[in-house]
Amino acid sequence: MKIIELHNVSYSFYDMVPALSGVSLSVSEGDLLAVIGANGSGKSTLLQVMSGLIHPREGRVLFRGGEVTEKRLGERGFQRYFRERVGMVFQSSDVQLFCPTVLDEILFGPLQLGITADEARRRAVETMEMMNIAHLKDRPTHMLSGGEKKRVAIGSSLAVNPELLLLDEPASGLDPKTGSFLTDLIISLSESGKTIVIATHDLQLVDHLQPTVAVLSEEHRIEKVGTVADVLRDEELLVKVNLVHEHKHRHGAKVHSHLHAHYFFHDHAPRHDHGGEHGRTSPPHEHPDAGAKRKK
Amino acid sequence: MTFIDRTITTIAGIIKSSYVQWETAGKNGLFQKLDPRVKVLFLVYFIVIVSLMRSLAAQLALAAFVFIVIAVSRLDVAHLYRRIAGFAFFFGFLIALPSAFNVITPGEIVLPVAELARSHRLWIYAIPKEIGLTAEGCFGVAMLTLRVANSVGLSLLVIHTTPFFEILRALKMLRVPDTFLMIIILSYKYIFIFSRTVEEMYLAMKSRLVGPVDGATVRGLIAGRIFLIFKKSQTRYEETYRAMVGRGFTGDIILPGFPAFSRRDVAAGLALALVGAAFLVIQHFI
Repeated sequence: MKIIELHNVSYSFYDMVPALSGVSLSVSEGDLLAVIGANGSGKSTLLQVMSGLIHPREGRVLFRGGEVTEKRLGERGFQRYFRERVGMVFQSSDVQLFCPTVLDEILFGPLQLGITADEARRRAVETMEMMNIAHLKDRPTHMLSGGEKKRVAIGSSLAVNPELLLLDEPASGLDPKTGSFLTDLIISLSESGKTIVIATHDLQLVDHLQPTVAVLSEEHRIEKVGTVADVLRDEELLVKVNLVHEHKHRHGAKVHSHLHAHYFFHDHAPRHDHGGEHGRTSPPHEHPDAGAKRKK
Repeated sequence: MTFIDRTITTIAGIIKSSYVQWETAGKNGLFQKLDPRVKVLFLVYFIVIVSLMRSLAAQLALAAFVFIVIAVSRLDVAHLYRRIAGFAFFFGFLIALPSAFNVITPGEIVLPVAELARSHRLWIYAIPKEIGLTAEGCFGVAMLTLRVANSVGLSLLVIHTTPFFEILRALKMLRVPDTFLMIIILSYKYIFIFSRTVEEMYLAMKSRLVGPVDGATVRGLIAGRIFLIFKKSQTRYEETYRAMVGRGFTGDIILPGFPAFSRRDVAAGLALALVGAAFLVIQHFI
């Protein structure tokens, strides 16, 4: 069952600066989809279109088969139906954290959607425990660290218990520990049946999550949709959409140049001199399935 | 660019004071434990009492009571009393001082200041031959100074023992609409976020300036930064609005309410009400 579909969607800022050009994409229930692309390719705009926060200049957005339009979202009934089911986490947590304290932030969504105070509080407690932020509940959100803010921002969307969760650059600016927590969380949520769409340019995150991948080009079009192996092995595509580039890289005393992404183009395993050429063997940290497929 | 330095230092001070306020509000003191609603009602009630009391001795007794509560709430007494003294001096003593003279408040002169050859009439004022401080005037100045000191003391007591947002939320009890409270909350919050941005922008600019800079350049740089902050605020407002809509905001804000009062809060509220009433009564006897 398709949960959200985009048909030939185009969007531009101030009707002048294009952000999406003829994007068609569909996400089925329980899918984990990563939209990858360089900065300015339109990833965030795509997520905001999916969440009905902005509306396309051309094309249609369908949620569970019903069209999502500005007019329909003006109707209280549809608005509540849609907002209860679609949650979005913004790239900048400061944008999303506008309530006085962490607890208020988690309670905000449920209360606006008319959930009773007791039920909202029960959800908030559960969410805070899941996100490991219960000890921060009375703290003003502008006094949190970046990682804590991100946890609260995700928790504030999860408290509504949406069917479709949209995460805009969820791992950006996080320390490794919070990044790992986030990866684990996304996998757990996905395993529990939630539909998740992530916008990112972090290929390491994509490698860890092994989602279906949609690639947005700098011309704001979907270039390819496929598995992680399909997409990350397509060197030509990644170079074209500006997600990889050559850079200098050090191995002990040796410095050589190769494409930025380490996942399929470069092998760290051999410790001998490889003469500055791009390694082509399976990297040691590569996903076992992807490696197995390629060996075939 | 020392004035910019000063401004930035002030901004940093605002941020720091917010942290300090939050820290002190979380201390394990007497007043911190009370429900914010009790404290807001206490503040309103006692400020009315301060205005009604007409006895200097009673005002002094109330000042002593405020001092004791501040001390047992484990607040920084010296810091708070420096602020209270500053407010009382400028907004109480200095403003009221002219009224202590017999030119404005007639009465028995207790401290002669000047003697003229004869009395004069100037607009609505009759200037007597002998000018000096009157007992009635001094009483008025002392009363106003103590009222300001007590009002500021009570306000600082509540502000430093209650997280700022809890004070705002407690205003729900006084029927202040949620939407209005949310506007104040957002404004307060983004002042801190943008203060940090201003500080960082200033440091970035400072790191690239070498040698003396003329006034016109400084004005140009500042104007550019002001415009940039304005644009950033506009963008942030649009994004925040979307984030609110994304979580179900439809134009009517619903803020979480408070749980029922605990027995301790009810007892404390009653005790404070009795103390306030006692001050009104004892002023007739002391």
